[in-house]
Amino acid sequence: MIVGFNQSAFHVKKNPMADDSEEEQNNARIHQNQPYDESLEVPDAEEVASTYSPTPRVNPDPDRGRSHGSTPPEHRMMSDQSDDEDDMQDQIIDKGNSQTSQSQPLTMPPRTGGPGMAGAKIQQEQFNSEDEEEETGSETSDEDDDDDDDDEDEHQALEGAYDPQDYENLPVTPEIKELFQYITRYTPQSIELEHKIKPFIPDFLPSVGDIDAFIKIPRPDNKPDTLGLSVLDEPCAKQSDPVVLDLQLRAISKQSTDKKLIVKSLESAEKNPKHINNWIESIRELHRSKPPPNVHYSKNMPDIDTLMQEWPSEFEELLKEVGLPTADLNCELSQYVDIICSVLDIPIYKNTSHHNERIQALHVLFTLYSEFKNSQHFRALAEDNKLDNKLKFEGHHQEVENEGFMP
Amino acid sequence: MMLSRQKPAIGPGSTTPAKESKKKKKLPKVDDYLAARDYTGAITLLEFNRNSGKGNEETDMWIAYCAFHLADYKRAMEEYLRMTKRNNYHPDVWVDLACCYFFLGMYPEADQAAAKAPKSRLQNRLFFHLSHKFNDEKRLMGYHQNLQDITEDQLSLASIHYLRSHYQEAIDIYKRILLDNRDFLALNVYVALCYYKLDYYDVSQEVLAVYLQQYPDSAVAINLKACNHFRLYNGKAAEAELKSLQEIASPSFIFARDLIKHNLVVFRGGEGALQVLPPLIDVIPEARLNLVIYYLKQDDVTEAYNLIKDLEPTTPQEYILKGVVNAALGQDQGSREHLKIAQQYFQLVGGSASECDTIPGRQCMASCFFLLKQFEDVLIYLNSIKSYFYNDDNFNFNYAQAKAAVGNFKEAEEVFLLIQSEKIKNDYIYLSWLARCYIMNRKARLAWELYLKMETSGESFSLLQLIANDCYKMGQFYYAAKAFDVLERLDPNPEYWEGKRGACVGVFQLIIAGHEPRDHLGEVLLLLRNTNNPQVEYVIRVMKKWGREKKVPLQT
Repeated sequence: MIVGFNQSAFHVKKNPMADDSEEEQNNARIHQNQPYDESLEVPDAEEVASTYSPTPRVNPDPDRGRSHGSTPPEHRMMSDQSDDEDDMQDQIIDKGNSQTSQSQPLTMPPRTGGPGMAGAKIQQEQFNSEDEEEETGSETSDEDDDDDDDDEDEHQALEGAYDPQDYENLPVTPEIKELFQYITRYTPQSIELEHKIKPFIPDFLPSVGDIDAFIKIPRPDNKPDTLGLSVLDEPCAKQSDPVVLDLQLRAISKQSTDKKLIVKSLESAEKNPKHINNWIESIRELHRSKPPPNVHYSKNMPDIDTLMQEWPSEFEELLKEVGLPTADLNCELSQYVDIICSVLDIPIYKNTSHHNERIQALHVLFTLYSEFKNSQHFRALAEDNKLDNKLKFEGHHQEVENEGFMP
Repeated sequence: MMLSRQKPAIGPGSTTPAKESKKKKKLPKVDDYLAARDYTGAITLLEFNRNSGKGNEETDMWIAYCAFHLADYKRAMEEYLRMTKRNNYHPDVWVDLACCYFFLGMYPEADQAAAKAPKSRLQNRLFFHLSHKFNDEKRLMGYHQNLQDITEDQLSLASIHYLRSHYQEAIDIYKRILLDNRDFLALNVYVALCYYKLDYYDVSQEVLAVYLQQYPDSAVAINLKACNHFRLYNGKAAEAELKSLQEIASPSFIFARDLIKHNLVVFRGGEGALQVLPPLIDVIPEARLNLVIYYLKQDDVTEAYNLIKDLEPTTPQEYILKGVVNAALGQDQGSREHLKIAQQYFQLVGGSASECDTIPGRQCMASCFFLLKQFEDVLIYLNSIKSYFYNDDNFNFNYAQAKAAVGNFKEAEEVFLLIQSEKIKNDYIYLSWLARCYIMNRKARLAWELYLKMETSGESFSLLQLIANDCYKMGQFYYAAKAFDVLERLDPNPEYWEGKRGACVGVFQLIIAGHEPRDHLGEVLLLLRNTNNPQVEYVIRVMKKWGREKKVPLQT
């Protein structure tokens, strides 16, 4: 198993060269008629080079984008003997490539027969020699080439090029014929154009992460853990909200804890209505499950039912005329509380140890209000408007309705 | 009528769900949270206990365990560090701490901490992976030999195979273990991950479905599904998958948040790359590469190069990007050095067994040959993938150049004209090659129009020379004459006069042969008169004489 680790992490590197070249040779044998077969059948590239004539280089030349009329490479090769061997090898590789590619359907380049890894190292050299070739070529052999290769190239490749012979037989005066010689007297320059590759930009790469390496902390109770085996070692998507859970735990255990309550905050809340709704829902849930708060009055308070008894009819009649005192009454809030409570028969005990004696009275007041509000009987009466005072009464206290009246 | 009612009006579901909670007045158990893998809940409960004075050392161990599996390695590390400060802690704490360090990327610390722990299989696995991180083959071999034929060790080995891109080897291990343990569902996800890496996206989908059926809320599996969709379909389909995960996940779910943020950038074609990716570099391996891709798309080659220059490539994607960046930079700066490096990277990827039949692999090979100026070979590769790139300007730019380079000017022209990008269309390489194609295809007038649209510059001068000489060569003397005329006026070089003289006579010859309209003769005479040379008069005289004989109207 470990043997694999000696290979590189990347398959690219371990591609066996031998296989490739073998396949190339096989291909070559099948296509006996291809022009450069023999060069492929000889495995030793140098041997080939020694018997090989450099002339076929003419062919690939136009492919290199050199304009016709510029230096053909065969001259360069002649002029620089030291490069010859490399160049031979190049040709063999070149031929090998083009040859095998001919033998395969052109729509898909061959998997191994193409210029794959078999040629990798040699093509490397090829690149090097190309460098030298270009340098030496341009230095040494530019000028002496110009004359002879012009004709050759124009015949060879430039389809549709101007040919003075086409116009040899025009019926013109000798004067004009003489003028025509000006045409061939100028030899148009061959201008070599640069190539520029726009490198392809790969697609963005998504990340899938890595595979569980089984470097994981075991359970402290040493029970077998199935994490990473029957289930991926990842938290489930529905994690508890720690703040809500903490509140719940406090509520359930009725225990005091010295842990500080975490106050949650939410960034860019306007974009997260889901989070806010979740929070509201879970807090509402929490409150529902909580037992209602009990208030223990320090002094006796009248029973709510007693307080809900009807007023004497004279009093009711009077209320129709004067009404209950409203909050507009020109007095302190505490005085107002005193007035309302006494009207409703709720006692306010003075001089209690409590720092505000009115709070317990107010609690009774609001409990009374809440009783009325939640009573089916009185709601029905109010809807039929049979309770004259109720509306006024409600008017004052609407703002506290439904709120918890914690002391 | 309402057919979509879901809540039964009568029966157990008819009451509002709120009331159910009244039953659970009892304190929840940690085990329940663990079984649900609700580690946040478990930690909250454990902390509540600890703070109520009921905590002990075991509570701390559990909190650390939960934090670790929540992928909150920092938190777990802090818990273990605190334990090591106590008097009599269990020595295994060291290996636990080392695990936390490992996932925090603090490999030397992990190595040191693990060394303090008693020998264990977990320790050996940890050392095994650490040796991989340290690239220490010798150590790796040692720990590899200590691995046993037990599930955890084998799975750890498979994970190394995966990290080393030996996906088939990893799959073999998983399949072997699955044979005996059908209930190890998670292994399906691992297999799916391997198939994803092998580019078998639909196989990956299939294997993955087994797990997702059981655990539809798995973040890892959903993310992989999204990635498969991205490869099989498009970014939109992928994004939809991640959206569904975000829907299920509760706000406190932060596991894989970075991964999801990263992939959303990918699926949205790079949107938000500059905000999201920089902090994720070296956290998520793809983040750096994606930022490089983003910069390349923005044509900011220098930034791209700075990001990638120190990266030692190990995956095909990394090799490709190094090649692409070097090629772009090499051409921008005219640096042979970079071009050579680019060519080598392209060759390495394009020639590799794993990539030679992929589209990027062929793009690599084509680029390699392009840099080597072996355009016949470039075409073999580009032809095989051209159907994927019909509207790709970059592809067409390279493709057309290669076609022109091998003399296929007709198709080259067609492909050049598919290009939409204004930037490319104003590139001199584009203009000069297109002009050459026009001339070779006997559309010299269009080449001349390309010149007319250019502003006067060194490049427009070069284009003139190209038009003058190529037209001359192709016997399209009318535009050759026009081009030489401008050249001569810009630079009174006798060679331009010779060219112009020849071209003018060439037009004359074509007129006589009936290949050129006769009224061009007048224009030719005007061109000739622009030159101050004694030969002019003689040439003009001969031409005029012929014109009079043939009754060609000449204004002059």
